[in-house]
Amino acid sequence: MQTTLSINGTEHRLDLDTRVTLLDALRDHLGLCGSKKGCDHGQCGACTVLVGGRRINACLTLAVMHDGDEITTVEGLAEGADGGLSPLQRAFITHDGFQCGYCTPGQLCSATGMLGELAEGWPSHASADLDGNYELSQEELSERMSGNICRCSCYPGINAAIRDAAGAEGRK
Amino acid sequence: MSLDLKLDGRSEDRFGTMAQGLLGTPADRPEGVLKVTGAATYAAENLPENCAFGMLVRAPGQGKVTAVNADEVRAMPGVLAVIRDERMIRNAAQGTANEAPVQGVDHAEYVGQPVAVVVAESFEQARHAAQSLKITTEGSPGPVDPDAVEPEGEPTRTGDLDSAMKDAVHALDLTYTTPSHSSTPMEPHAAIAEWDGDRVSVRASLQMLKYNRNELADCLGISAENVRIQSPFVGGGFGSKLGITAEAVSAAIAARELGRPVRVVQHRRQAFETVTRRSETTQRIRLAADAEGRLSGLGHEALVSNLPGETFAEPVTQASAFAYAGAHRVIGERLARLHRPAAGSVRAPGEAVGVTAFECAMDELAVKTGLDPVELRRRNIPDKDPSSGKPFSSHMLAAALDDGAGRFGWSDRAPEPRSRREGEWWIGSGMAAAFRVNIMMEAEARIDLTPDGAVVETDMTDLGTGTYAILTQIAGEALGLPAESVTVRLGDTDFPPGSGSGGSWGSATTGNAVWLAALDLRRQIAARLDCDEAELTLRDGQATCGNVTRALAEVLGGDDLRGHGHITAGDAFEDVVQSTFGAHFAEVAVSDVTGEVRVRRMLGSFAAGRILNEKTARSQCHGGMTWGIGMALTEELTHDRRDGHMVNRDLAEYHVAVNADVPPLEVHFLEELDPWSGPMQSKGLGELGICGAGAAVLNAVYHACGVRIRDMPATPDKVLAGLE
Amino acid sequence: MYAFEFERPGSLDAAVKALQEEDAQALGGGQTLIPTLKQRLAMPSKLVSLKGIAELQGIAQEGDVLKVGGGSTHGAVARETKGIFAGLSLMASKIGDPAVRNRGTMGGSLANNDPAACYPAALMATRGTVVTNTREIAAEEYFQGLFTTALEEGEIITSIRFPLPEKSNYQKFEQPASRFPLVGVFVAKYGDRVGVGVTGASEDGVFAWKEAEEALAGNFAPEAVDDLWVSAEGMMSDLHGTAEYRAHLVKVMTKRAVAAAE
Repeated sequence: MQTTLSINGTEHRLDLDTRVTLLDALRDHLGLCGSKKGCDHGQCGACTVLVGGRRINACLTLAVMHDGDEITTVEGLAEGADGGLSPLQRAFITHDGFQCGYCTPGQLCSATGMLGELAEGWPSHASADLDGNYELSQEELSERMSGNICRCSCYPGINAAIRDAAGAEGRK
Repeated sequence: MSLDLKLDGRSEDRFGTMAQGLLGTPADRPEGVLKVTGAATYAAENLPENCAFGMLVRAPGQGKVTAVNADEVRAMPGVLAVIRDERMIRNAAQGTANEAPVQGVDHAEYVGQPVAVVVAESFEQARHAAQSLKITTEGSPGPVDPDAVEPEGEPTRTGDLDSAMKDAVHALDLTYTTPSHSSTPMEPHAAIAEWDGDRVSVRASLQMLKYNRNELADCLGISAENVRIQSPFVGGGFGSKLGITAEAVSAAIAARELGRPVRVVQHRRQAFETVTRRSETTQRIRLAADAEGRLSGLGHEALVSNLPGETFAEPVTQASAFAYAGAHRVIGERLARLHRPAAGSVRAPGEAVGVTAFECAMDELAVKTGLDPVELRRRNIPDKDPSSGKPFSSHMLAAALDDGAGRFGWSDRAPEPRSRREGEWWIGSGMAAAFRVNIMMEAEARIDLTPDGAVVETDMTDLGTGTYAILTQIAGEALGLPAESVTVRLGDTDFPPGSGSGGSWGSATTGNAVWLAALDLRRQIAARLDCDEAELTLRDGQATCGNVTRALAEVLGGDDLRGHGHITAGDAFEDVVQSTFGAHFAEVAVSDVTGEVRVRRMLGSFAAGRILNEKTARSQCHGGMTWGIGMALTEELTHDRRDGHMVNRDLAEYHVAVNADVPPLEVHFLEELDPWSGPMQSKGLGELGICGAGAAVLNAVYHACGVRIRDMPATPDKVLAGLE
Repeated sequence: MYAFEFERPGSLDAAVKALQEEDAQALGGGQTLIPTLKQRLAMPSKLVSLKGIAELQGIAQEGDVLKVGGGSTHGAVARETKGIFAGLSLMASKIGDPAVRNRGTMGGSLANNDPAACYPAALMATRGTVVTNTREIAAEEYFQGLFTTALEEGEIITSIRFPLPEKSNYQKFEQPASRFPLVGVFVAKYGDRVGVGVTGASEDGVFAWKEAEEALAGNFAPEAVDDLWVSAEGMMSDLHGTAEYRAHLVKVMTKRAVAAAE
């Protein structure tokens, strides 16, 4: 089936088996292997990408469901024409927010989407109230990132990196 | 040329006198940019031209296997082959096996055994075809209940524990159980195999390539020279990628048969079954103590299980042999031969569950004797190994206990359980000691030195353990080069064989091989400067000898130099007992109305010789402590009572700790150099953090609410039942 | 995954027509259906994507009723009902994880009727109405046991109507790995009655805890259910919790929800 995907600002026209997930389209058909397959069932978050700025599990959606959608993967997170790292990417390195690195692209996309949600005042499970004022408390942050499993268990580094980058964003 | 060293005694600390200032610093991982941009390439990625896709098919039961409709499946769209080859393996090989594991597809010895691989033009076609292949099994299932078979093995007995128990002022005889655990690294097991004539290259996700190469060659019936394995990035292992795995073998077989590259990736649910689990354990622990809490005897007997034909038995009591004093001892494992999926190493095999249960028992003894749990442990630190009488290379338990207790604020703790309540929550704290044996293997590494810098090569892997960072630092420190001038290449059997990653031995073993390669180079440099290597100072690309300083590039004078190092363990690992030590402290809250446990904070103080990179070392400890939380509270693989199959083999049913389960974790390292551990004076750290961590949590649960959970994990329903 | 065709109709009429084909299946956000297909637990000939259909979108208050378009994602429900229906907003903000909430839809969840899904508890507690392309179905008629509803073949949930309560709250005790509720309780207080919807607990799927509804109607306070007792008979029992434990949680979660209702 003909599908056009806009990935990291580039349009890709693909003729795909309807069964191809967005994740497999990225990894096996477009060679964008940054998005990872950890469980293929939406249970681990390694495949998290941004569609229209919102984080989703690329394994839980078919490529043909995204005709015309704007998709951002880890390969598109680096800022600027020179491909310099985003503050979040840099902070992940500084705070050792990864070990094996396999969940990292998902963590980064998820955190990028999460910071966007936070800026818009989206509520979360851990939010004490629904008035749209949220701070990145340990509970708030870890709840908002709980869809992304890191078996190496770099959560302290991941959370420190996100706080650091959120602060840097705030200071901009 | 190679610089060989067999460790037969103490080693001199050479890094104390190096000048670069790189080793021990919290340096960033050099591969970090690749990992945060998605450019690090894992096994299933970078598809070769014309690659076909394979899916493994599992046996739905035990017994004689028949593929009912293979011809029909062969005719499905895109299907290239339905392969059932007797060289396919039953389960992943054990770590360091160095030969093929049990092979064959005609008889399923456990539910989930791979019995076919279906290959098609696309992943979607292969998956559909594999799901369409109907497999039947005939025959009655073998035993799957550990209590229903006569186990193999006997514990080691010293003295007379039964009498010691009778004579003791305080005697405890307790049974703890732990369920099967799964490693579940984030990257599922994957391989792409490609043949060139009689030579096969496999991109795989494996931990110990020099062994894996021999294992794969043995599986295929070819010479190891004709096998190349590459694993430059491994998405976590935790023991599950130690030995050759089913997808790698079947990809190689299929690629040969089809004459084109084949990729096989295990689905998450398959990986739960075909790679080795941590055995469930039943642990009987006996403690005999005098009025002051000094142990006169201890018993630690464990029942574990494995499939017939497997050599591995979870070494539950490994640390109990040396952890505490007590003359009368019964220590060891019994192995039940069962037809559950194969058991093998999972992060800290032995200590992870053994120390955890034993440290829970020590907490119960502290309650019984009325002693503070820290004090009880301090009183029972042996001055030499109580099992063998050998001295310890170093013993840092007392220091770790003191350091951790002080930082945690242990002295503020009310001794009585149920002393603190906040709303519906009981608050309490607990502690446990940590022990993990220090193991040295054999490793080689080489360094090429050019005017541009140094290139380190070994087939060692980096599972996230920090190998790239640490080997960069060792080579940079020894050769006086900044990190940017050192390139580390790993994970390719074309490189000199390293130790592989496992048993916490990677950094110390392969690191020492890199040191020897650097020393080889230092000697060559010193010779060019006509000075003694010990007098040579290398820093920032400059070589200084006496009052002469020259640029390294100038010393090379247009030559490229190669250094080669080779290390093996010798009497240093026979004459003394080597271990790492630590102390865990945890604070938990337990809901009085739901039984839910939340860990509020954890702190660990650890001693493992020289800490090579404070940042990656800390992350390793975070990992271990988090696994401890999972082991204490949520991780439990359930086997079906009838046929032993894994019931909850995915991440929606098997709960590993996630971000919301993990409180702030504090990690402290004690200053230590252990001369017996080798020239770097550094010991393995990757597994110490898990050893005993779960016990600190469970002991805190007891202190919070008075409920003792001996059947792990402490799920809310069990805790609530205790509260009522 | 079996092979299937895929269609993206642009209107409700076109979707209804597409679904007339034998074994055609409506596809919302796919958060349940895609994994179901991967495990070959369903074999549709065609998937009909409801994503581009304007009639299924929109969340709006209509007098004392909240109308939620069947294609609304959990994330949209969480955000857009914040000031209107606190309990529903809270519930939606707790479903799955953020990535799931950005795709999964209320219509999809209700059509699937997983015994541990969250929304059924809210629909049951409020005695809301499922509106389809052909009719309106009251909550108590809509739910017919595990994964079973009153929906006919090819019938599409266009919207869900919730009578707006004075106070409401949702409390769930999660199975930590999947984050489905082991037990979830939705409490909705109206002028003349109280609704208590319970999910995750019963072998028959969502139910209204009528004894609690009566007790709370007289006294909307946690103590009002102190003397009530939930039987473990008919409760689910699995790896994550026994029937007894679930029965216990029903009362605990109800009290929590009443205490937190706003």
